[in-house]
Amino acid sequence: MWSLTEYRYVFVAVGLMGVVGFSVPSAVMVVRLPGGERFSELYVLGPGHMAEAYPFNVSVGNDYLVYLGVGNHLGSAAYYEVVLKLRNSTEALPNATSGVASSLPVLYSYEVFLADGQTWEGALNFSFADVVFGENVSSVGMIRINDAVVNVDKSAAWDNVNNGYFYQLIAELWLYNTTSNGFVFHDRFVTRWLNMTSAV
Amino acid sequence: MVFVGQGFVVWGSGRDEAVVRVGEADAALRGAFVAVVGAEGAGANVSGLLVRLNVAGGLLSSAVVAFQDGNYTLAVERAGDCVGLADGVLGDAGLLKADAVAHAGGWWVTVSFSAVGSVVFVGVLLLVWRLFRRFYGERFLKSRPEVAG
Repeated sequence: MWSLTEYRYVFVAVGLMGVVGFSVPSAVMVVRLPGGERFSELYVLGPGHMAEAYPFNVSVGNDYLVYLGVGNHLGSAAYYEVVLKLRNSTEALPNATSGVASSLPVLYSYEVFLADGQTWEGALNFSFADVVFGENVSSVGMIRINDAVVNVDKSAAWDNVNNGYFYQLIAELWLYNTTSNGFVFHDRFVTRWLNMTSAV
Repeated sequence: MVFVGQGFVVWGSGRDEAVVRVGEADAALRGAFVAVVGAEGAGANVSGLLVRLNVAGGLLSSAVVAFQDGNYTLAVERAGDCVGLADGVLGDAGLLKADAVAHAGGWWVTVSFSAVGSVVFVGVLLLVWRLFRRFYGERFLKSRPEVAG
């Protein structure tokens, strides 16, 4: 048989457990557990929504399809802008180290609003027009992106090493900053090399 | 040219007007997003508002494309539709935020539940302890001593 002192310990323990139990609802309102790492995703997929079969050899008169994807893991709703640019091999890429976007003109943009944990995928249909081939140089006059036709007037010299006229499609991720009331480069970009093969 | 947008009829649209309308649509979209973030911060569920903002964002993209194509009438129309949607989201975000703030104002009910519940629990436990101690003492006194060995 337990002594009275031992029973007292049992009652004190039950009392403490009860007080803690009743305090839980209030504690939940105050205590905020640390969340996971905050980041955003930007990715590009092929026509079958897989990381394969990306268009590479392109020519006038053909339509090409890839999918762009954005994932929000910032812990709150986010307003993204995915901007598309076209460069040749001599023009600068965005600088991921210093967080500076490419200075090339924006050809097309997607406005994307995502809740925390949500992802978005958007189709990127594109084709080329006004493509001219000269002596060791090619030039692209226009690019159609989804329903937009944009003048680009971009040229690429023949690449002796890789044997082709190479252009690179760049997708940059920008994030709306509610404090500065403007978009800032979110230091994420994806690229796809395209080899212009022939003109019609 | 004639187009119908935002419930009124506009006779033709020039480049300057398109610039203004597309700018207004962009500003409306940003303002609506800021309101949605505010509502989310107050604890409201804003997933429905984000769906509508995506539709408005698509309209803004269409307006920009139409503007680049030189189709200023279509650009003005799409920009107007975008502003209409964004304004709706702005208003609803305000309502959701007010609702969330009012709901959050009931925090004292939870705190009261914790405080009163703890006090009552401890009080009842003390009462039980006293009864138990009395019962234990009486039982101790009634017990007969045993001689061991």
